[in-house]
Amino acid sequence: MSVRTRPPSTSGGYPTRQGARARKSARRHAWRAAVEGYLLIAPSLAGFVIFLLAPLLGVALVSLFDWNLMGDPEFVGLRNYTEMAGDSEFWRSLRNTVYYVVLNIPAQTVLALLLALALNRRMRGRNLFRVIYVLPWMAMPVALGIVWTWVFDPEYGAINKMLGVFGIDGPDWLTDSGWAMPVVASVNIWQYTGYTMLFLLAGLQSIPVSLYEAANVDGSGPVRTFFQITLPLLRPSLFFVLVTNTIGSFQMFDTVYVMTQGGPGGATDTLTFHIYQQGFQLFRSGYAAAMAMALFALILLVTAAQFLYFRKRTIYDFS
Amino acid sequence: MSRRFLRRAATALALSSLLVPLAACGGGDDGDSATSGTVTLRYGMWDEVQKDPIRKSLDAFTQAHPDIKVEIELNPWDQYWSKLQTQLAGKSAPDVFWDHVAYFPQFAQQGVLTDLTADIAADKVDTSLYPQTLADSWKQDGKTYGLPKDWDTIGLIYSTKALGKAGLKATDLANLSWNTTDGGTFVQALQKLTVDKNGKHPNEAGFDDKNVKQYGLALQAPTGQQDWWNFGLQNGCKLQDAPWGKWTIDSPACVQAIQFVQDLRLKYHVAVPASVTNPPNGPSLDQVLGRGQAATSMDGSWMLRSYNTALPDGGFGVADLPKGPAGSGTVFNGLSEAISAGSKHPKEAWELVKYLASAEHQKIMAGSGTVWPGISSLNQDFAEAWKAKGVDVTGFKAAAEGTTMGYPLTSSSATYNVKALDAFNQVWLGKLSPGAAAKQVNDASNAAIK
Amino acid sequence: MFKKTGLYAFLIIGALVSVAPYLMTLNSAVKQPDKLLTTPAWEPATSPTFANFSQVWGEYDMSSFLWHTFVVAAVVTVLQVVFSCLAAFAFARIAFPGRELLFWAYVATMMVPQIVTIVPLFLLMRQFDLVDTYPGLILPYVFGFGAPYAIFLVRQYFKTIPVDLESAARIDGASTMTVFTRIMIPLSRPILATLATMTFVNTWNNILWPLIITNSDRTRVIALGIATLKSQYASQYNLVLAAAALALLPLVAIFLAFQRNIIRSIALTGIK
Repeated sequence: MSVRTRPPSTSGGYPTRQGARARKSARRHAWRAAVEGYLLIAPSLAGFVIFLLAPLLGVALVSLFDWNLMGDPEFVGLRNYTEMAGDSEFWRSLRNTVYYVVLNIPAQTVLALLLALALNRRMRGRNLFRVIYVLPWMAMPVALGIVWTWVFDPEYGAINKMLGVFGIDGPDWLTDSGWAMPVVASVNIWQYTGYTMLFLLAGLQSIPVSLYEAANVDGSGPVRTFFQITLPLLRPSLFFVLVTNTIGSFQMFDTVYVMTQGGPGGATDTLTFHIYQQGFQLFRSGYAAAMAMALFALILLVTAAQFLYFRKRTIYDFS
Repeated sequence: MSRRFLRRAATALALSSLLVPLAACGGGDDGDSATSGTVTLRYGMWDEVQKDPIRKSLDAFTQAHPDIKVEIELNPWDQYWSKLQTQLAGKSAPDVFWDHVAYFPQFAQQGVLTDLTADIAADKVDTSLYPQTLADSWKQDGKTYGLPKDWDTIGLIYSTKALGKAGLKATDLANLSWNTTDGGTFVQALQKLTVDKNGKHPNEAGFDDKNVKQYGLALQAPTGQQDWWNFGLQNGCKLQDAPWGKWTIDSPACVQAIQFVQDLRLKYHVAVPASVTNPPNGPSLDQVLGRGQAATSMDGSWMLRSYNTALPDGGFGVADLPKGPAGSGTVFNGLSEAISAGSKHPKEAWELVKYLASAEHQKIMAGSGTVWPGISSLNQDFAEAWKAKGVDVTGFKAAAEGTTMGYPLTSSSATYNVKALDAFNQVWLGKLSPGAAAKQVNDASNAAIK
Repeated sequence: MFKKTGLYAFLIIGALVSVAPYLMTLNSAVKQPDKLLTTPAWEPATSPTFANFSQVWGEYDMSSFLWHTFVVAAVVTVLQVVFSCLAAFAFARIAFPGRELLFWAYVATMMVPQIVTIVPLFLLMRQFDLVDTYPGLILPYVFGFGAPYAIFLVRQYFKTIPVDLESAARIDGASTMTVFTRIMIPLSRPILATLATMTFVNTWNNILWPLIITNSDRTRVIALGIATLKSQYASQYNLVLAAAALALLPLVAIFLAFQRNIIRSIALTGIK
């Protein structure tokens, strides 16, 4: 960030009045920068305050009340939070959420990276593949519910029919408490890997070819080149992808809503689904808001940790 | 893209800046156009299929009341209640909306419904036209919060083809009974309808329960309404000690009924496994019958149109539910037309509700074959609409005239629904005992009573 | 040679997995309703019919819902791109006080699930009398839901544009707005294509906000229209699938149109 703004031409005066006025001019520049900066973000900032900040403060406020939306809210102080601390279902949904993120993020990132590496080469049909892999991202959740029944039905589903050809008796994917979460994760991996790939592909393409040529001259093999050149230079893209995908994963909702409703036996009851259930099915808005604030704090912590980790290791300018 | 893109973007921007204020004028009208004297009522509902006949019927209403316009607001069942609750929080609920017994008690308690008692008396609405239990479901503390819209019961739906293959006739499904020791004639009939890939039945030696080609019965019920509640009633189980009272689903009679449903799957192997049918991911039962995975199903009368799609041209029929140790019985439920307490046009809204509950409107609905009408004398119209399609649906009506059980009246239905879905899904899979599940759900539901 | 075959095999299997659900959807959407329920989704439709499509198009008003959705998504996309660019430019290039704090505030709002902010937001829109209006439907998309992500993305991109270009223009007497319109925007067209596609698709598919804020058929969007077909009462799968296929086609068309730019875009981004 080194660009100096200068006064608009109407004020005249540029270039340069020398000497004693220099300090005054610098102050004026700073002031102008402030005015211009705020003018530019003004529309966005107004919207931000109304549509993001106000509702967020609203949630923080509601978390201090007992409210079923219909009647009058009753102030309960921190009671929602103390109840949450002792609620085993809350802790279970927290564990489930972390489990989901752990299943989802590494697998999705590695898969997307492999795809990006593959599709970064010169090859026939490269563009077609890129388009095809991004298609799942466009799917509408409503319609997908029907599709997943076709795929995961234990007897009539596509997967178990296929396994049956090889003589394998496939599991009951969605009603087996061990399998349900991996299935939910794999559905999300299906949906977002191509989308993630786009950003990694971008990162790969920004790496100067000259670096690879040099590595070639030095006679380093493909694996070494990957770890010594590709991966370090890909860190900025990886960072962006990891931060935004992690935030998204902690809030995963659609797939659970459509496929399992938190079952079987609470195995896929993630925090966002639990919040939905408390807020919209049991109409405990205050309690749902308290849990949302907890989720907010958790994501904030994780994002900050990612930021610190990557700042040490990259030239990525995140600030 | 370049220049062409920019030009297109500019056009779109210009267009949008025009559009936004235009739209602002167009929408947002609460129907307060007092100047013209016309009132627009908002009418909330969730069934796409009923929208068309309702619209037609409302044309007649508007003709009789030129100063009242009705705008239908349709929302999917899955989100209907979340949305309604949010609207209630914003004091912007529809003037008139469909109400369900699972939500009614809470609504009445919170004072978001209009008490119709005085209007009913003033306009001399004859509530004896409706079945007593139906009309009574919408009363609390002597006040009436809705007029009956329709009713539904649970029947035993069968695939004609599957029945024929097993050499059975529709009459063979009448007068079946079940018991807790050997399953009775009900299980025997289902055994005949259940075949493995070698053509063997569950009561024969060498039956392969891992490779069943067709099951006798398919069950699926997020709450219990279409499965164990019925067996419960037939076994003398009461879901509550009294209307508005405590839940009692952990009583022995109820637990036995839950056990029987589990047995149908895991002991007798005559019902489609829970891994297939458990909601929400399981296919709906009309599909299960349609693809030949099961010969019969227990389902609600509201599903008739779906069965008619999966098994067209008289491909299905309706039989009575079996009798249990305590006799016959079915869950009997219905919806009502309610007026929200915040309505700005209570007088017009009452006119609309009066019309919706009238014979004129309900005759049209019955004739469309969508739902059984709230007014008993019009049931014939519904039956005839289905007779024309080659299906005899009078079984549902016979059931409604026998022993019935209403939907539980309690403020904790929401908690029950959430807890029951997960707990009983586990029971059907054999991962939780009926007794433990019943106790767990019972305790949680009782704790949530307000 | 063997390696190349292996790579193609890997890519083709992945591609099949990616499109299989779509193929099943399309295949089922042209089946007769009873066949749809009774035959596997991958079994080709024996006597394909377009009756499902014409039914959702006409009888169930999907044509007008599609049009509403298109208008909403297009307006949201254009406004979102414009305002995000302005804000991103300030965040990337102008040293105004409170910049870092504000930027972090933006990013932080991404961390609150939409499902809880929706009720306060609805109550707010009710205060503004914007329930069941297009502005009420559109404005929160433009400035709320996707805005922080959009600004984050564009800001990162702006930071990769060499400062030298800007300095040179400044010396020639260019104003801030000139720098923005003559240098930043022309150099960023690719990322704008990406952002536009992303915004369009997300707005198109979102169901939660339209569900809460719209009531009538005048403002109904396609995702909600499809959801009502899949009611507890009589789910009409043939219609749901036909409508879903209809709703997907515009998205694919837009992605194909912008595809070249998107790939290049992120290429230049380098997100660094």
